[in-house]
Amino acid sequence: MRPRSPTQSAPGDPLIEVLNLCKTFHDRKKGPIPAVLNVSFTCSPGRVFGLLGRNGAGKTTTLRMLATILYPTSGTARIDGIDVNQNPGEVRKRIGYLSGDTKLYDRLTGRELLTYFGELAGMSPASIAGRIAEVQVSFQLADFLDKRVGKMSTGMKQRLSLCRVVLHDPPVLIFDEPTSGLDVMGAREVLRIVQDLKSKGRTIIFSTHIMTEAEKICDEIAIIERGSILAKGNLDSLRREHGGGSLEDVFVSTVEKVTPEEAGRAGERVRP
Amino acid sequence: MSGRAWAVCRKELRDAMRDGRTIIAVFVVPFILYPGLMLFMGWIESQNKKEEGALQVSVGVVGEAQLPGLTPALKALEGVTTVPLDRVPPSLEAAGVDAVLSIPPGIAQAIPRGDSVKVELLYKDADHKSSAAEERLRPVLDDVQRELTVLWARSQGAPVKQAPAIAVEKRDISSKAEEGRFLAALIIPYILVFMVAAGSMHIAIDATTGEKERSTLETLLATSTPRSDLVLGKMLAVIAVALTAGLVGILGLWFNLTVLAGMMPALSGQSVQLTMRPEQALFILLTVLPTAIFLSAALVAIGCFARSMREGQTYATYVYMASVFLGLGSFRQLGTPPVERFMIPILNTALLQREILTDTVVPMHAAVTLGTSAVVAAIMFVMATRLFSNESVLFRT
Repeated sequence: MRPRSPTQSAPGDPLIEVLNLCKTFHDRKKGPIPAVLNVSFTCSPGRVFGLLGRNGAGKTTTLRMLATILYPTSGTARIDGIDVNQNPGEVRKRIGYLSGDTKLYDRLTGRELLTYFGELAGMSPASIAGRIAEVQVSFQLADFLDKRVGKMSTGMKQRLSLCRVVLHDPPVLIFDEPTSGLDVMGAREVLRIVQDLKSKGRTIIFSTHIMTEAEKICDEIAIIERGSILAKGNLDSLRREHGGGSLEDVFVSTVEKVTPEEAGRAGERVRP
Repeated sequence: MSGRAWAVCRKELRDAMRDGRTIIAVFVVPFILYPGLMLFMGWIESQNKKEEGALQVSVGVVGEAQLPGLTPALKALEGVTTVPLDRVPPSLEAAGVDAVLSIPPGIAQAIPRGDSVKVELLYKDADHKSSAAEERLRPVLDDVQRELTVLWARSQGAPVKQAPAIAVEKRDISSKAEEGRFLAALIIPYILVFMVAAGSMHIAIDATTGEKERSTLETLLATSTPRSDLVLGKMLAVIAVALTAGLVGILGLWFNLTVLAGMMPALSGQSVQLTMRPEQALFILLTVLPTAIFLSAALVAIGCFARSMREGQTYATYVYMASVFLGLGSFRQLGTPPVERFMIPILNTALLQREILTDTVVPMHAAVTLGTSAVVAAIMFVMATRLFSNESVLFRT
């Protein structure tokens, strides 16, 4: 794999900075629904930051804001020094976003799909062809690259999805539950690829609700519940703070501490 | 009916009433769309009646002096100018008239003798003015028949009811080519609207709502391509398919009505000769463009708004139906339409195509059609782009 694109950030600066990020959805019947409340964290270059939380905890909304798919209600985030609110187009050039729920175009072949996303990223035909040649080796796509996506297995599709994410060589990768729906072997393969990307210097945000995955690949972990980050640190510091045990124990003890009253007070802070 | 069947019925009704599509299909469409379209058709029809009433036609009359009752009868007709002619002209165009009423020489003597004579009204059904002249002269033809019958009865001293049939006939002298041109002008614009709308429907919804349904939307939104480029790209694809559908439609009509009919002698004798010169076909294709752009933009906007393919297709069907109704407006258009009718999308293109096919293009009509369609399509494009950037629309469930 070729060296990744030069970044805007000064050496040593965090590549991802999230500051008091909030998101409130508005429902005609229920009124404002706070989904993310004052989330702040940073991630240094070449590190994997894990966002750990239950379904509906606010992981996807947070990551969608970082990927500029959703606009923050307040607060901000900077990717490679660029503000997601002020310059979302530039942010998108610097990220690769993959969600476990997202699908691919069944009627395209793997090569056509990668070419399409290369074009959308503004790459030249020659650089697209060059990158496809590179990634088909590292992601072991050669056997099915010219097969239609609809005919591929779930594992093949996920490998192709990962390949799509890194095709334009972004310095930051955002993975939202990328192993969702995969069997054990598929999930292991995805984790192997993520670790490989980390070893090649990519900065990665990885959300999951599977503790073992977070334990395996994350340098830092934030536990998110009801839209708020309740605990943050590396695995060892989290264990120390919560009296040892596995990450699952840490997670359960952290989440169980939040009472509905506390959640309500947290919500009041962002209600208009 | 058992209680359980009633429970199923209640559940289905509750389910359906919580589905926006049912509300639209059962309440909004029957209450607003259909009556609105009927109102529109009624307006077109009443405008047509007004225009028909105001239409001035010119009728050449050969041998007018031979029937004393004819001159006052013709003068009594509103909107008809008579032109005395010595003989039946080789064509209506040569005489500069819309129809010719021919009274054979010596009819006043021939009728009492019992000779076979024929009074004829020559007109062209394929020409709306000529056809209007024929319609206006119908009562005059009845008067002529009555006058000739009375003349025979008086000369024979016999009762009127014993009079032989006296031929007072109308003859459509439209050539096969003229009939074909008339038919082409009548049907092609309507069919093209129909084909372009049908052709663009599926791809527009698939390219927009399909992204949501297939869960490919997020991937697309996270790319560095501006939303306006994403929408424009989708619109261009829809326009390309819509234009292809229009082109294939024109080729299909030509192939069936000329080539295929020509290969089957039994059919060729009966079929009209669909006439469309190459330059007309080219202009027609160019005029398909505004309709294709407008429909594509409208359907893409709808697709961006809809939550699911089914919802998108439901909304698109209403656009399709409205397009077909607008196309029908051109079907009923007889004379030269007023310029404001060229400000109505789809109808304007159909009317312009009709003018192209009848070689009666008014440059102002073409300019208004293109201008209006471009403005409306631009508005639709901006709407679609805004919808495609609106997270509450994109991610609503």
